[in-house]
Amino acid sequence: MKIAISATEQNENSRVSDRFARAEYFIIYDHDSLTFKSIENPAKKEGSGAGGKAVKVLGDLGVDIVLVPELGPKALDALNAFEIKSYQYPREKTVREVIYMYFEKKLPELLVSTSKGRH
Amino acid sequence: MKIAILSGKGGTGKTTLSVNLFSFLKKATLIDTDVEEPNSHLFLKGYDLLEEGVYKKHPVVDDEACDYCGACGNFCNFNAIIPAKKKVLVFQDLCHDCGGCKLVCESGAISYKDKEVGKLYHSTIAKNKKFIYGNLNVGEVSGVRIIESLKEISKNEEILLIDSPPGTSCSTVAAIEGVDYCIICAEPTPFGLSDMRMVVELLRAQKQNFGVVVNKSNLGNDDIYQYLDEENIELLEKIKFDREFASILAEGKILINHSEYFRNKMKNIVKKVMGDNCDQ
Ligand code: SF4
Ligand code: SF4
Repeated sequence: MKIAISATEQNENSRVSDRFARAEYFIIYDHDSLTFKSIENPAKKEGSGAGGKAVKVLGDLGVDIVLVPELGPKALDALNAFEIKSYQYPREKTVREVIYMYFEKKLPELLVSTSKGRH
Repeated sequence: MKIAILSGKGGTGKTTLSVNLFSFLKKATLIDTDVEEPNSHLFLKGYDLLEEGVYKKHPVVDDEACDYCGACGNFCNFNAIIPAKKKVLVFQDLCHDCGGCKLVCESGAISYKDKEVGKLYHSTIAKNKKFIYGNLNVGEVSGVRIIESLKEISKNEEILLIDSPPGTSCSTVAAIEGVDYCIICAEPTPFGLSDMRMVVELLRAQKQNFGVVVNKSNLGNDDIYQYLDEENIELLEKIKFDREFASILAEGKILINHSEYFRNKMKNIVKKVMGDNCDQ
């Protein structure tokens, strides 16, 4: 199982991002190999449709779960189509902290979008 | 000559100016490209009304034929089509109708469907006076396609006035594309000034010629005039606020028919902007 977290820097101790589709990086935690990997978010500079693009990148990497601060309607549609579940973390935490919170079932699942997408 | 009338935000008298300049001219066409909130038509009662739909294409994917190769998603520059696990997502409002995804799809799974995004209303106000406005359908997010249609059908008009969407969005950019002159409507308040500055930046970036009409010039403060002076921007005219104007407008009437003061202001603006171009 792979979990992706939107982050401001490239390691598991960095602060989580306030944005999903336009986050600087994604940290991907692989629960089978217990390893962390980071990727630069290729969607962050997209003029439009960053949400769909970010989800596609994560979907192609085989991510099963994303931990996010918020979600636009397009990102949510795309997550559903890729069968990826999303959970909302509180701001100002670190990547490591929100992963623990996820396993302790402290993060609410996001079923409706929480922000308006940009066009 | 093509002249756009624009403003930093709504409610600065942009429509009043557009409608009255139009009424002042003997021969002109006015298009209202503020398709999200058109209101010029409330003042202009015409005849020969004609309504037409504006359509936009978007891809539709046949799930049976699709083999999820991903080519369409890789091709699309706008993230409007995204192949996922068991279906291909299409975000209609992001699609720019370029036709590319269909070309790259080797399985022939993509076809295009038309969707009405809004309507155009044509009318004749008087001899040699045409008025067309667009209206975006409820639920549609971008009026650019409708603005492009308005610009396309009026492109050969000799004298064209364009009531543009307020602000500095893509809609504004589409409305002012290719014009000869822009008139900014502003108010002498601190907010009015900062909104106007954004418009000035946009027009400078687009290398447009422009001047400013200050409405409610008897209110507010002098910052705006100082700014125009420092930036070397032409002040076309100052128009005072008058209670009587407000009540004439509230009845949907044309100000120049009721106020000699206002008619003179329009005359000056036309002279400054169009010069010998006009034969009023
Ligand atoms: S290019 Fe055609 S076959 Fe490939 S994913 Fe897109 S729709 Fe499906
Ligand atoms: S028509 Fe062009 S813009 Fe629209 S989805 Fe296809 S490739 Fe993207």
